[in-house]
Amino acid sequence: MDSNEIYAHLQKIYCTILKKDQVTLTDETTAADIDGWDSLTHMLLMDSVEREFGIKFKLMEIMKFNNVGDMVACIQKKLAAK
Amino acid sequence: MSLRNKLYYSLINNSSHNALCIQGCYCNYNQLSERVACIQQTLINHSVSPSRIGIVLSDTVDTYAAIVAILLLGKTYVPLHPSHPAERIQQIVSQADLDIALTSSALSNLENITCVDMSSLIADGNSPIISKGDFSNSYAYILFTSGSTGIPKGTPITYGNLDSFATGFYAIGYQLTPQDRCLQMFDLTFDLSVVSYLMPLCAGACVYTLPDKGMKFTNVYSVLEEHTITFALMVPSILSFLRQYFSEIHLPQLRYSLFCGEALSADLVTEWQKCVPNATIDNVYGPTEATIFCTWYRIDTTGTVGATNGVVWIGKPMLGVNTVVADDEGNLIPTGEKGELCLSGNQVTKGYLDNEKNKTAFFTLNGEQYYRTGDLVLLHTDGNYIYCGRSDHQVKIQGFRIELAEIEHHARTAFGCHAVAIVFTNPQGINQIELVLETEATNKSDIASTLKSLMPAYMLPAGIHFVKPLPLNINGKTDRKELAKQIAIAI
Repeated sequence: MDSNEIYAHLQKIYCTILKKDQVTLTDETTAADIDGWDSLTHMLLMDSVEREFGIKFKLMEIMKFNNVGDMVACIQKKLAAK
Repeated sequence: MSLRNKLYYSLINNSSHNALCIQGCYCNYNQLSERVACIQQTLINHSVSPSRIGIVLSDTVDTYAAIVAILLLGKTYVPLHPSHPAERIQQIVSQADLDIALTSSALSNLENITCVDMSSLIADGNSPIISKGDFSNSYAYILFTSGSTGIPKGTPITYGNLDSFATGFYAIGYQLTPQDRCLQMFDLTFDLSVVSYLMPLCAGACVYTLPDKGMKFTNVYSVLEEHTITFALMVPSILSFLRQYFSEIHLPQLRYSLFCGEALSADLVTEWQKCVPNATIDNVYGPTEATIFCTWYRIDTTGTVGATNGVVWIGKPMLGVNTVVADDEGNLIPTGEKGELCLSGNQVTKGYLDNEKNKTAFFTLNGEQYYRTGDLVLLHTDGNYIYCGRSDHQVKIQGFRIELAEIEHHARTAFGCHAVAIVFTNPQGINQIELVLETEATNKSDIASTLKSLMPAYMLPAGIHFVKPLPLNINGKTDRKELAKQIAIAI
């Protein structure tokens, strides 16, 4: 899956969890840029992302996500290894 | 020895030890002392010599140095959170009667009050000083909690209250040394921060605060792991967040793992026990009014946990704390029956800043003043208290104490309609607030941004719902249970 496809999936997940009509995600986006993305919703987001892509993040991996780009790279890596 | 004296000698005796690790930068006791001394000089030389001093909080050495400076002088600190709405900060400034506030940057000036930018103060080679005398009846700090009328409620805690807390803390057996590394994950407007920085600093240990970027629960874990933390007081919701990763977590260096601020789930804590094989795990309980915490329950190392309905007991009172269980009129309730937990002893505040609030919150029994916690408990035959919920609409969200009535007050005033705040526990076991407005559906993001200008972030609802008309019960009051059912479908 290329990163554009991953982003399309992510935008959908973020809209559902954050109850928004539109969420713009880029490689540089962080939680601070998006209203409502806090500890509580983060957990729900990670959970939905894992289910959507059929992958499982490790705590160490989540800790190293500095922005959405890091997460997308991790998703790609895991999908490639499947 | 009083805590003030302990703190003073700790600064003097631990000079080259690390005192604080903030955003990955260390500050030793010597460096901390220099900052304390120059802040003290500024306060002493200030024209009005204030007894109460505001601190505009930031995660800096100077914020902690300001607290230490004020405590050693026997004065009172009042934390002011720069991200809270301006109106709320002004209410606190006026209730606490503040003329001066210390800030860590020239940018965080407040209106109607003299702000001293600590970053402009230059260490002048002076040493910290400690005011001599008996300060046991002087206020050490005043914290403001959620008030049901929309006005924050000021709870003053004296040096005598703090010393009693410390006596109880040491009597439990907590022993911190200069070799300890301690987690400080709490907002300084919240009194669990006080035990998290003050007890380590009095022992010459090092205090680690959380990185300001990223998610709180991953930050807590990264500090625990990276700095091999030995003493950690946390809110139970951190465990709910980390639960799915427990199999990856191994923290053998953790000696003390304390939980406070919310109901602790027995399942969760027994699983956590495997992650922290060498830690003593205690569930501690207490309202701000009784100085940090005042009862404790130790989780058995064999994994047997005293719990009722899956919630770990809050245990027995600390040394010097007297407890009774009473009904609405202040009559004692027989052992084993449910009632309101009431507290007395030197740890308990003598009263709120606003005297009006004291009439309902305190009562006298056998010559002792008791504080009504609003928490319902049962006394087990073995002497442990069992927590059974609230007698009112106060809730805890990730450890923050919130009056649902305050949220409703702000929403009602701002939008001119009935407003009901309801707490839901999500499938991960985390509490969240949903706000229901009795009005036609309108733009949710406009409503959210209005609420943001009125309340601190931790009070903001996770979701907004429109229900018109609100369901009523047979008494004609809003039927909260029915309403909760109706909106549960929408969450």
